[in-house]
Amino acid sequence: MERELATVLDAPHYQAEVVADPAPDNNRTPATIVDVQGLSKIYPKKTTSGATGIWSKLGLRRSGPPEQFVAVDAISFSIQAGEIFGLLGPNGAGKTTTIRMLCTLLEPTGGLATVNGYDVQRQPNMVRQNLGAVLTGERSIYWKLTGRENLQYFAALYHIPPALAKPRINELLERLDLSARADEYVERYSTGMKQRIAIAKALLANPPVLLLDEPTTGLDPQSARNLRELILEIKREGRTILLTTHYMEEADQLCDRIGIVDTGKIIALDTPARLKASIQQLDVIQAEVENLGPGLLSEINILQGAERVMARDNESDGSCTISLHTLDSRALLPTVIDLIGTHAGRIRHVQVARPTLEDVFIALTGKQLRD
Amino acid sequence: MADATLVHRSLRSELRAMLASANKEWVIFRRYPSWIIAFLVWPVLFPLAYVFPARALAGPQGLALSTFSRLAGTRDYVSFIVIGTTIYMWFNITLWDVGLLLRNEQMRGTLESNWLCPVWRISILLGGSLTKLLTAIFFLAATILECRLLFGIQLLRGNLLLLLVSLILLIPCIYGLGIAFGSLVLRFQESNALVLFMRGLVAIFCGMTFPVTVLPHWMQIVAAWLPFTYAMHAIRAVSLSQANFAAVLPDLEHLLAFAIVLPIIGYAAFRFTEQRARRTGVLGHY
Repeated sequence: MERELATVLDAPHYQAEVVADPAPDNNRTPATIVDVQGLSKIYPKKTTSGATGIWSKLGLRRSGPPEQFVAVDAISFSIQAGEIFGLLGPNGAGKTTTIRMLCTLLEPTGGLATVNGYDVQRQPNMVRQNLGAVLTGERSIYWKLTGRENLQYFAALYHIPPALAKPRINELLERLDLSARADEYVERYSTGMKQRIAIAKALLANPPVLLLDEPTTGLDPQSARNLRELILEIKREGRTILLTTHYMEEADQLCDRIGIVDTGKIIALDTPARLKASIQQLDVIQAEVENLGPGLLSEINILQGAERVMARDNESDGSCTISLHTLDSRALLPTVIDLIGTHAGRIRHVQVARPTLEDVFIALTGKQLRD
Repeated sequence: MADATLVHRSLRSELRAMLASANKEWVIFRRYPSWIIAFLVWPVLFPLAYVFPARALAGPQGLALSTFSRLAGTRDYVSFIVIGTTIYMWFNITLWDVGLLLRNEQMRGTLESNWLCPVWRISILLGGSLTKLLTAIFFLAATILECRLLFGIQLLRGNLLLLLVSLILLIPCIYGLGIAFGSLVLRFQESNALVLFMRGLVAIFCGMTFPVTVLPHWMQIVAAWLPFTYAMHAIRAVSLSQANFAAVLPDLEHLLAFAIVLPIIGYAAFRFTEQRARRTGVLGHY
């Protein structure tokens, strides 16, 4: 099944070449604004045995070659100007590490990445001039300053001349609906407002590329919806956006293309529609069950025609949602209902659903996004 | 496609960024008014912890003062202690302020946000340090004034130009060490133990409340490698014994050497930490 998926990547790993000329690479495809080739990040693994500890560093403890943790494993992708590109994957998949390498906070172990033609390793200042980033959201701004003071400060750090900074700040405050409270301390803002100030900060220098790391995490549903609308507006201005998320609905709604990331690798890359179409022949039986007995899942899993079964607890009411991938839901549904009844489970709701991006992820990795 | 970026980089804009960093620190400092109270109370409270034990040890009618005078070159032990504790506190404030400037940004979550900007990172640190220097000058002024009003001590005596030169030479020493210390804190993500170590080093080895000559020989060797030893000696000599330029020249020469070397060490430590942080991703850790 995995082989039928849209694009399964196995990019070669190669080292960055020395770029003598600091000028942008004019040979690149004009429409490509972010180009990532074989990018890797490998950390030495910290162990309690002290393999990377001080005794080992001082040569007082014998240790073998240090263990390594591959956070990003030779990934490759290109982002076209004006598109929203999403990196979708569970926590710890390598999304944030990738974005940190692109915005020059983290040095890649290998590979090459350019932003608007500038090499992230050789021309970090030019890269920083060409992108705005929101990494830690509301914590990326000063709570003891007002919204306006924050923007004035960062405008100076972005080398925006005062004559341009003032109208630009007013314009952004107006546009992000923050004008009325621009002169209040940020600590009095709601989480959504803080996030908007952080986005205004990222937009200050009018960069062609915006990097957003989990932009809606921690926001209430209404604020998250507003922020998603804002992201679409920013895209309509012609900006390119790279966002990471572990919310499949968000990726589905916002992204022109999505790279699904797991254990440091991009395991599939395509438009949301094509990713879902790649498992279109699958039906997804979803059953909300109370009193899920032990052994039920393993029995469903071995049913003839069952491709994969997953269960997720619904914390709000103690029930459980079972998702079963199958090629023939009509044949399997009655058996599944019988089996749940045999295990004294009570079915609240059952449906045959269309595959979502989460189903794509499950089909590819055998685990859920929230695992 | 969005229009061109608004970034206009120049040396002037770099200076503007540095001043913006200084202004930001100043605005945030002002919004924690308890610091101002601490700055007013501390200068007189801290030396008293040493002045009273000294009075007790001096004995009835200050009989032991002749021994002190022979070692320190003055009988005015209160001023002697106040000068030592003031320099110590200046360094202490710098450790907490400049030394923890980056660490505080890191814990707030704003360090990466600053690092994402196309600005020299040292500009951010120097801007913040500039504000800390201004607050330290406020602290020194408060000390001089309060000592005059409460204890009747006149610290500004002797050759004022020599006093000023000694203080000016001490500035790059203290801030060079502060920046190096800040880099160390960012590396180890631990401040208290390091601050205690550095403070102890100065308090014990530099003769904060006693003449260095009472230290064992090996401790005097360590003291010779610390700029505060020379600064305290020079300032006490000028202020309490009316020493002239020739008398404090050896101290000033040593201070000058430290004033050149320590900022270089501070910058090198900062650059090393910055590059290491890029490799390890430590910037985003709390």
